Amino acid sequence: MSHFSDRVDKALADDNLSEALKKATSQLVSRRSTAFSSLEDAENLRDIARNTKMKILHNLEDNLLKFEKSLQKNGSHVHWAKDAEEANNVVIEIAQKQAVKKIVKSKSMLSEEIHLNTALIKAGMQVVETDLGEYIVQLAGDKPSHIIAPIIHMTREDVGNLMHDRLSVPFSDEPEVLTRIARRKLRQEFLDADMGITGANFGVVETGSICLVTNEGNARMVTTLPKIHVVLIGIEKLVATFEDLNRFLKLLARSATGQKLSVYTSIIQGPGKGTETGPEEVHVVLVDNGRSGMLGGDLAESLACIRCGACLNVCPIYKNIGGHAYGDTYAGPIGSIITPGLRGLAQWHELPAASTLCGACKEVCPIRIDIPKMLLKLRQVTPPKVKASISLRMAIKCFAVIAGIPKVYKGFTAFGSRLLRFLGSKSWLTNNIPLLDRWTKVRDFKTPAKKSFQRMWQEKIAKDGK
Amino acid sequence: MENKLSKSKEVILTRVRESQVLARLPEIMPESTDGLKSHHQPESDLLNSLQKEFDLLGVETYVEKNQKAVCKRLRNLLQDKSVLSWNLDNLPYDAGTVLQSRNVYFERDDKIIQASADIGLTGCDAAIAETGSLVLLSGEGKPRTASLLPFEHIALIRQSDIYFTMSDFFDKKGKEVSQASCIDIITGPSRTADIELSLTLGVHGPGKVIVVIGP
Ligand code: SF4
Repeated sequence: MSHFSDRVDKALADDNLSEALKKATSQLVSRRSTAFSSLEDAENLRDIARNTKMKILHNLEDNLLKFEKSLQKNGSHVHWAKDAEEANNVVIEIAQKQAVKKIVKSKSMLSEEIHLNTALIKAGMQVVETDLGEYIVQLAGDKPSHIIAPIIHMTREDVGNLMHDRLSVPFSDEPEVLTRIARRKLRQEFLDADMGITGANFGVVETGSICLVTNEGNARMVTTLPKIHVVLIGIEKLVATFEDLNRFLKLLARSATGQKLSVYTSIIQGPGKGTETGPEEVHVVLVDNGRSGMLGGDLAESLACIRCGACLNVCPIYKNIGGHAYGDTYAGPIGSIITPGLRGLAQWHELPAASTLCGACKEVCPIRIDIPKMLLKLRQVTPPKVKASISLRMAIKCFAVIAGIPKVYKGFTAFGSRLLRFLGSKSWLTNNIPLLDRWTKVRDFKTPAKKSFQRMWQEKIAKDGK
Repeated sequence: MENKLSKSKEVILTRVRESQVLARLPEIMPESTDGLKSHHQPESDLLNSLQKEFDLLGVETYVEKNQKAVCKRLRNLLQDKSVLSWNLDNLPYDAGTVLQSRNVYFERDDKIIQASADIGLTGCDAAIAETGSLVLLSGEGKPRTASLLPFEHIALIRQSDIYFTMSDFFDKKGKEVSQASCIDIITGPSRTADIELSLTLGVHGPGKVIVVIGP
């Protein structure tokens, strides 16, 4: 895979992307804050949700065993998978047993984490993503770039061209027309499919319920029309009771899209009953894939994440580079913790560094997950892999000498600021300063103020007579 | 497969057991559930709040005085369109009478035929005033397809089934809730904002939701 800094460069060079990102994230941020201001006792609700998750994680073994029992009582089959390969194999075996050819899927990040689609296609099955954004991503052979808005990186023209190309339909850039086309195409897929695969937003320990939330209704289609329904659920996604679930639903919708409740909340409790049109078999696959390891380390708290995407939208880094630059399933501040947590730090040590530690993520997180603290922890163990270049080391040494002698330092800064003011608007000059050009190529060098802070400070002291 | 599976279960649970002892999870904080208790509202307020939420969501709402008016309203709404319906004895207000001599499909019909219907007709186990949600408990005779496949969904609501919050409903009807194969909570028409965040209705589920509230 490409290097992190190359992916970042690519994202920063893409004007379409940065405009789309700015628009989308700021809209989502303002919707979220409006939604929260209408929620009575929101802060208390967040405390309770946080506690609920911590209690579950403290007693995860018990909770998993109880959850399994409740699922079985509802008539669901339970499977356990310790890693990605096992999870994929479980799904393939279920499918092969029933001679499944066509599979419809509703958005599941876990399935992306374990590369389920690739495995299913390799096993000779056809897989169709049905969330509109994910469907478009799949048509494009691309990857989603945001938890809630997977094609935040595409314009309507991009989508129109893609559908025109891949689905042989007339070009249009009207979202309404494009959505109708997708409805028609996907409706047929739902009716043809023999198996539906979903993730799970929550699993309720006490009742063995699987809760799925969408605005489009695709998860309902996937869990209603095919005769087999397979749920992939991370072992950390549990809540204890219906009352808990109810609270999490309030927080999730508000944090994700600024709605009081998402359009469709489906709580699935086993296969369809009697003559009802519904799946004949429900299989729940409990997937570990690194989570149990994280539970024992410094990143345990991140297992409480409910994947609302709020921390992405406020992150100054995410807002500029978008989801793809993070290089894996989970993007944004929380992705910078989960990806190294699940996949190991060796290949992902740049991610924790890609943060300003401004704390905006923690501020908006409905579960108040202390993301900055964990990023710092990860930075502490980051191996100092790259040795700085000789010129940089020399420059830093010189700076250390200069900064160590106040008089010399003052002289240098005064000279520097005068020089820069003189160069002023000649950006072709300032943007090509040797050694600094990696910085200045993409940013204009600011002209310093006429009066330095030190001067102002001294003047203030003199004036105050202190 | 069985053997391999039970082994994975053991491996996972062992790791979890070892980890949760070491886990440096944040302390459980003091909390209070007092502020979260539902505010019990007089019946008339319930209807008002519900209507307000329906308006915001773009749900078309009719409030009718008696059974006869409900049926008349339903007849007007259905015109001569084909219908996918809950079984007749599960519909309130004897609404089944309105369906006589129409193209009506039920859960026993093939799913392709069900999907061809213009309108889905259902009752409603609860309507939640706080959020403008319809709660439908699926089961035999109350297929989930009716509120999902057709482009229009008409739900008949009895005023006595309006609750202020979801918890009020769960408290009162816990047994029914636990027995349903699927609980669908529907809050407005199907929508997406995936393409440039522009709102489009009816992407997979109904693009139009109509409720008729009877006495
Ligand atoms: S870390 Fe918090 S804000 Fe970020 S996605 Fe998870 S729950 Fe949402």
